[in-house]
Amino acid sequence: MDNLNEFVVDYAMGKGADYSEARFQGDEGINIMVKNGELQGVSVIKDSGIGIRVLVNGGMGFASTNILSKESVKDTVDVAIKLARSASKLRKEKIEFSEESFHEVKYEVMMKKDFSKLGFEDKLEYLKRIEEDVKATEINVPMRFLSYHDWIEKKIFVNSEGARVVSVIPRVSIMYNLVVVENGMMEQAPFVEYAFAGGLEHIEEVEPWKKAVEDVSALKNLITKGVKTPEGKVDVVISPEVAGIAVHESVGHPYESDRIFGREAAQAGESFVKPDMLGERIGSEAVNVIEDPTLPNSWGFYLYDDEGVKARPRYLIKDGIITEFLLNREYAKKLGLNSNAAARAVNYNREPIVRMANTYLAKGDHSFEELIEGIKHGVYVKSFNEWNIDDRRYQQRYIGREAYLIENGELKEPVRKPIIEITTRALWSSVDAVSRELEFYPGTCGKGEPMQGVPVWMGGAHARLRGITLRR
Amino acid sequence: MFEINEKLMNLGKKMGFGDMVIISTLNDRKQVRFANGEITIAKRWLEKKTEIFVEKDKRVVSTEISNYEEKHMEEVMQNLNKLMSSVEKKEDYYGIAEGPFKYGEIEETFDKKILDTDPIEHIEAAINATKLDRVAGVLYIDHPQIYLSTSNSVEAKDEGTGIEISVRAFKDDLASGHSTNSSRVLSKFKPEDAGEKAGEIARMVEKPTLGESGKFDVIFDPMAIGNLLSMMGRFTSAMAVEAGFSFLMGKLRKKVASENFTFRDIGNLPNGYGTRKFDDEGVPTKSTDIIENGTLKTYLLNTSYAKKYNMENTANSGIIMPRPWNLYVEPGEHEEVEIFDVPRAIYVTNVWYTRFQNYVSGDFSTIPRDGIFLVEHGEIKGAIKNIRISDNMQRLLMGIDAIGKDLRQVHWWEAEIPVFVPYIRVKDVGITRATQ
Repeated sequence: MDNLNEFVVDYAMGKGADYSEARFQGDEGINIMVKNGELQGVSVIKDSGIGIRVLVNGGMGFASTNILSKESVKDTVDVAIKLARSASKLRKEKIEFSEESFHEVKYEVMMKKDFSKLGFEDKLEYLKRIEEDVKATEINVPMRFLSYHDWIEKKIFVNSEGARVVSVIPRVSIMYNLVVVENGMMEQAPFVEYAFAGGLEHIEEVEPWKKAVEDVSALKNLITKGVKTPEGKVDVVISPEVAGIAVHESVGHPYESDRIFGREAAQAGESFVKPDMLGERIGSEAVNVIEDPTLPNSWGFYLYDDEGVKARPRYLIKDGIITEFLLNREYAKKLGLNSNAAARAVNYNREPIVRMANTYLAKGDHSFEELIEGIKHGVYVKSFNEWNIDDRRYQQRYIGREAYLIENGELKEPVRKPIIEITTRALWSSVDAVSRELEFYPGTCGKGEPMQGVPVWMGGAHARLRGITLRR
Repeated sequence: MFEINEKLMNLGKKMGFGDMVIISTLNDRKQVRFANGEITIAKRWLEKKTEIFVEKDKRVVSTEISNYEEKHMEEVMQNLNKLMSSVEKKEDYYGIAEGPFKYGEIEETFDKKILDTDPIEHIEAAINATKLDRVAGVLYIDHPQIYLSTSNSVEAKDEGTGIEISVRAFKDDLASGHSTNSSRVLSKFKPEDAGEKAGEIARMVEKPTLGESGKFDVIFDPMAIGNLLSMMGRFTSAMAVEAGFSFLMGKLRKKVASENFTFRDIGNLPNGYGTRKFDDEGVPTKSTDIIENGTLKTYLLNTSYAKKYNMENTANSGIIMPRPWNLYVEPGEHEEVEIFDVPRAIYVTNVWYTRFQNYVSGDFSTIPRDGIFLVEHGEIKGAIKNIRISDNMQRLLMGIDAIGKDLRQVHWWEAEIPVFVPYIRVKDVGITRATQ
């Protein structure tokens, strides 16, 4: 298997490619779904194949196959080269890649509690525990959808410029959707997920069953004790979960260089950020946003990207100033920079494109209590359900699920559905203080065509926003 | 591929499995992406895979393989058997369809000419039709082959073709238009129509002003309402309803939309991008009224859900999750000009990023993108920007007051399930915008 990548790269270069890369990926794992207490399905995942990307005369071609014989991959290379050559005919300027230092390296994320050694029943037990603990609350939760997903992702990346990266990353996730009905009213906690690169020890540490109990209790509390959200200008504290989605949507995405240059225009859109905005102020001095694929055991973890470039933390916003974009080799070259290892592909049959990994609001120097104490009248938004943003990443909205009134520096009763609907600049300019604690939440970031949902973490610290006009 | 199915079926029989569904597919897909008027990448996928679903005493497990060495296939089936012994019963599993079935040919689902057509020519035609320099999009050429075998005497093959394009044209950063064209046969593929409409919308956008919050009548372009209905299609699956992902829960035989709205799933629709001869159990696909004159008639069902609800099978298997094939809005009586002939409305040409605050209540918002226009008495009075549709899905359906005569097939990145849909006008739609 190892030699197949080298064979592909050499064969492609022999056939006239100016650049070639071969990326083998094999995934093995299991998917378990439980609906309203009943097992719905168990799927065994075993998938492998090879993706081949080439540059010929400045055109880019990509082809993949899941038939891993030499004959099959030769045919696939021939296809990729033919496609690249034909693509080059409708190009105004040649696609070129930045020069990078490449390595021959192997890395693996180790599991303390190895899920590949456990049987199906042991894995189902995690979901059963959520069922049982939620039931024990005696809160009426008539709709419950739970899923468990684990897989080991093995990749071998080889390119014609000397890179050889072998990685083994296990990933495990538990997700739930819970609908609480009390007093004829209904509230929902949809797609709540806990996910890591690593073994089951991380799931056991975070205890999703306890989180599920907290969630249904909070929803019941909201139904029975919730009051209207204050309207008009108030101060708001957003939790790491809400700060996380906000940095992902309004900082990470618009700083993706392929968006900035219009490559995703017909799908996920473009960006309000332009290349000459590096160095421009976008938020208050309290705002620092970091994008870091190397966070140990994070859902978006990797040490080398899918172009073979070594990963490092990227400082997207430093003291409120735009300092760095997310770059792959193609757009690094355009900007006269080096790649910062943001190229990711979700599987062998997808091209690597510019993606986030783990995006977070960096910590400040306040405690959470201090943030709350500094507010006379406001709202603390702890979690959210609905969110979206325009395709230039400037007009966004987050609606709180669990949120509380703040009166004279103290948290009070729950408030219903506070709506923050705000521009990116106004949001980040309103931050006057950030807390010291960091938390992370997993998500599946969608981008690319065909769609590539990649695992990411979003999160960071609590942030205090001054003078936000909330809507009900 | 039937030999592979047979081998797996024989292995399964030896292991004492009851219901078995084996679906082998051979997919040949080409894609050319373009942006800024040039090709960014050209791709091709040649994939062969087999999905395996097996059942024993109401215990169900599934997997997928792409390695066809006999030893590997045997190992996979043995592993499923081993897994089966530890899996609990799925108490609401009531089996798969009893075959064999007869399948008629469905018109306009296969055209050999598509396989040899030059994608670049179509892209150039679309780009030229926009009459703008900055154009992005994607073109696909599809050639799927499906081989289905079940333990209930089904052995069926379907082979199709398809070609489609999505084109977004920019006059400047804030002036864009988007349109698509999809067809299963080459003679009906009109890339220049997509380009022309995308360009026309972009050129109509002149100095957009900030939109206002409030309630407005909204005229949805087929592309805009198609995106919303494509997402809604998923909520019509019985599985989505039970799992708490649908505002249609508990509303069978109740009014969920305006009386003039009839919404179908048609699996055997000629020229539908989602058309197939049979569902995953081999049941011949058909037309199903999901909402008839505003009343919810059925969820989308497979054999098991149909038995559970004591309803007619709608031929939408997904073994675990029933799913739509092609969604279809019954055409109304209105010409396009009549739809626009209202005192005041907002014309929305496209939306994206639809998200729900509560799937069961249906509270959601979605963001208009590309050209958004104020309309007065049939005339475009100017472009607006930065608005959000913030409403409830059922209230939106109840507010439909005019449906166009001419359907368009909408199928692209934002509309995964093809939707055949005309212009639709909805009364009193909630509009919001950023407060600061």
